[in-house]
Amino acid sequence: MNIVVSTYLVYLAISIALTVWVAHTLHKNGRIFLVDVFHGNEALADSVNHLLVVGFYLINMGYVTMALKLGYEINSAQEGIEALSVKIGMVLIVLGGMHFFNLFVFSRMRRRSVAHQHPPVGPDSFTTVKQEA
Amino acid sequence: MFALTVLYDPDCGLCRRSHEWLNEQAKLVELNFVPCASEEARKRFPFLDHDLTKQDLTVISPDGAVYFGPKAWLMVLWALARYREWSYRLASPELLPTTKRVVSAISQNRYQISRVAGLGR
Repeated sequence: MNIVVSTYLVYLAISIALTVWVAHTLHKNGRIFLVDVFHGNEALADSVNHLLVVGFYLINMGYVTMALKLGYEINSAQEGIEALSVKIGMVLIVLGGMHFFNLFVFSRMRRRSVAHQHPPVGPDSFTTVKQEA
Repeated sequence: MFALTVLYDPDCGLCRRSHEWLNEQAKLVELNFVPCASEEARKRFPFLDHDLTKQDLTVISPDGAVYFGPKAWLMVLWALARYREWSYRLASPELLPTTKRVVSAISQNRYQISRVAGLGR
């Protein structure tokens, strides 16, 4: 096994582990947000949560896979580690971006559901309503 | 269930047409249509100024809050699934004066508008 292949393998191992860890964190801590957004409808919240995590996995794994190829020669362990640090750094930045995007989506959904329950304007006056018999 | 009562003018073609359109829209809040100053309206709201409701659209919530004119229109928009966003937009401090002016102009000229649009009086 030459040095390029081992760099690739280490890259894949670290990237996939990071993706799984971030997805797991999102899944665990996003749930409570979604339950609130959907007014306590836990089944719907779990379903949306799961779908969001699937999308998160697809985008991140897609990026990790596409960014695998190095495109230049590596001749020493030092160059291997340097290449690895650039690759892993990119994966971390993409993961961070995705993570904040997810948080943005969560908070936006929550703000919408909280803000739009009340009428847009206050009443002009009040009157007595007779209930129908 | 939370439902808004809409007191509309049954003599105006534009209002009748709007009523039909509203019936087809998906709603977040139920709308009950009652002709203004009718027997039913007087029975349900004994202390309301019914002559005033003939002048402009009136919306009344189950807890007795009365929305008159432009505010009533905004409440009707708010009840519709597709236009709830718009009700907030039109009720924002920047747009509310314009909304009020446009809505009042339509309401005051509703018989002429109906006639021109060929909706009957």
